[in-house]
Amino acid sequence: MCTTRTTPLATTAILAATAAFANPYAPYEGQTIVVSWPALSHFQKAETLVEEFMEETGIDVEIDALQYLSLRDRQLLEMSKREGEYDVVSWVVMWKGEYASKGLLTPLSQFFARPQLVDPDYDIDDIADAYLQNGGVVGGDKGYLPGVSGALYGIPFGAETSILAYRTDIFEEQGVEVPQTYDALRQVMQDLDAAGVPAMTSRGSTGHQVTAAWLMHLAPLGGKIFDDQWNPVINSPEAVEAAEVLREVVQTGPTGIPTFGFGEAAAAFLQGEAAMHLDTLKIAAMSRDPDLSQIDGNVGYALHPEGSRCGAETGGFALGIPANAPNPEAAFLFIQYMTDKAGDQRMVELGGDPIRMSTLEANTEGFDEYPVVLEQLPCADPDWRPLIPEWNELNIDVLGQALTEVITTDGPIQPIMDAANEKARAIMEREGYYVWQSAD
Amino acid sequence: MTDGTTDPLTRPLPAPTPRPRFEAGFLTPYAFIGPALVVMAAGLLYPVVMAFYLSFYDWQIGLELEDAPFVGLTNFGRMLVDHQVWEVLWVTIRFGFWTITIEMTLGIALALLLEKPIRGASVFRTIFILPLMVSPVVVGLIWRYLFDARVGWINYYAGAWFGIEPQIWLGDPQLAFFAIVFVDIWQWTPFIFIIVLAGLQALPSEVVEASTIDGATWWQQILFVKLPMIRSILVIALLMRLIDVFRGLEVMLIMTGGGPGRSTELLSLHIYNRAFETQQLGYASAISVLLILIVFGMSAAILLLANPMRERSDV
Repeated sequence: MCTTRTTPLATTAILAATAAFANPYAPYEGQTIVVSWPALSHFQKAETLVEEFMEETGIDVEIDALQYLSLRDRQLLEMSKREGEYDVVSWVVMWKGEYASKGLLTPLSQFFARPQLVDPDYDIDDIADAYLQNGGVVGGDKGYLPGVSGALYGIPFGAETSILAYRTDIFEEQGVEVPQTYDALRQVMQDLDAAGVPAMTSRGSTGHQVTAAWLMHLAPLGGKIFDDQWNPVINSPEAVEAAEVLREVVQTGPTGIPTFGFGEAAAAFLQGEAAMHLDTLKIAAMSRDPDLSQIDGNVGYALHPEGSRCGAETGGFALGIPANAPNPEAAFLFIQYMTDKAGDQRMVELGGDPIRMSTLEANTEGFDEYPVVLEQLPCADPDWRPLIPEWNELNIDVLGQALTEVITTDGPIQPIMDAANEKARAIMEREGYYVWQSAD
Repeated sequence: MTDGTTDPLTRPLPAPTPRPRFEAGFLTPYAFIGPALVVMAAGLLYPVVMAFYLSFYDWQIGLELEDAPFVGLTNFGRMLVDHQVWEVLWVTIRFGFWTITIEMTLGIALALLLEKPIRGASVFRTIFILPLMVSPVVVGLIWRYLFDARVGWINYYAGAWFGIEPQIWLGDPQLAFFAIVFVDIWQWTPFIFIIVLAGLQALPSEVVEASTIDGATWWQQILFVKLPMIRSILVIALLMRLIDVFRGLEVMLIMTGGGPGRSTELLSLHIYNRAFETQQLGYASAISVLLILIVFGMSAAILLLANPMRERSDV
């Protein structure tokens, strides 16, 4: 009797449970997640994938897209509330240390340990290692890289490394070889300048931009910002040489580099006013865009030239979940969807940048830069700049000022970098980096 | 004959009626200004008090304020030896000197020129005040592209008309400083012009006519009649521009970001960078306190020296 009454109910429960297992998104259907990310090309193209996610999962997504330099203030304010609005935030890799040290992010291990959330085919090892380290991991000896104390807080999305883009027509016309080393690069810049061709464009405006331009040369030339004891070494011979290269870039490049941010530097190349662009791989997609570019069909790609070592930049963005996110599980599912193999391939189709090695390998035919990126990524350096909370002050106030002096004056570079080194040391001292050294 | 009681000249005045301590309706004016006072106190005093309060803490965005460590006068001590603060203060003073001097001179000159009815005066006035109507953010964007070294009209026409080589206007410290001074003059001279013009047009015509009859020349009329009579207006205009110089931020932020180096970084932009770029809100508050004291001190000094209100009450 009892059995006859309960059987239909049990059957219903089993069916419901089966249905739930069949659709891992079902428990979160109807939830609305709010995503904070930058109003940049890759993310604008991702909006189609977001719509597909909503259709497929029943989870609604609201995008709060901001100009990327305003993003950090907004995210910090929102994440520091007791109850936040954002379920997913996209950060510039430089901010991850600050976010994690303030306890504003949820470690992703909390989600990767829950099988009902994790797609068994996700394959996190397929994501380019340099991107994952640079954008997602906080911890280790330095506090911002993998190590025993490291933890994963984000998945790269819109990540990048540097490659050399050059004008094939100009190189052919001038009879110059594509530079593979820094010595060759400096010679090519002089040769093109002598021929009346603006050689290489670059960022150069005061603050973050000019520092980014210098860092681009620092790693391959063997330089660093700090030694292993957090002593600044931005006046080392390698650092001074990187500054010399930057000055030569300005002297032989298009007019106006000291005012260029990334957009202006890229525009100079895309409008045919420079023969080379050594910066993010995003220039490749921009070169193909007829609205932006007048040089499509005349652009070749090569590895970031080597100095004493191979060391391309790593940067861009990563996606993570705030500690105060209202819907963290749905947020995780969203991040997983956007960055799994199918999502990564879809981003390529939509005109975005992939983060997975398998996606790059599968698309080498259609994209001239992908073979170069595949070769570049193994030596992309996730430690090309220190992602410590103090970096912003060093980046803008110290290096950003000193390097502006380097590119807008003709004086000796060593004293400028010596003074910057002293200032950097004072900041690190103020922030307590040498307390244990003093104790010794 | 009239007796003394009827003679209006000798009749004693009636004893004055004692004036009531509080006349009916004496509260009315206070009732009218009360709401404005409350709004001002909330909108002005609260931020100032908070700036003082925060300057004693090492607070960063992302931390609860109650978790921020109290650091006493550390932020002020750091400010005193921070060469960056004194560097941007000097930039601000130079910027203020050049812009205010030129704006006052040009604004007064234009007002004197367009004071009298001339053909097309209303058109000129409209054209002159157009820059005032543009938001500072738009002004920054417009001029940033006009001064652009690659595609800017200024380089283009300087080359086409005068054969001048392209200049990196916003990438050279001296040129960038010149550029921000120029743009400020372009935008704010009309403000002086309008205020002075209103003052000149409100002058009693009898006084000016009297000086003409007395043989005063045009220059003498300006120097000894008109300008002294609108002195209070000039002082107010000067004061407002001075305050604007110290709180101006948007145009520099967009045109140059304060660079190259710190050549165009005004004190308010430096505070913004400290607060939102390097996230040192406590230290930024300490510099804000310095800014408040400077503006308050200068305003008080100008008002004490010129005292426009006293002059107005004398009139």
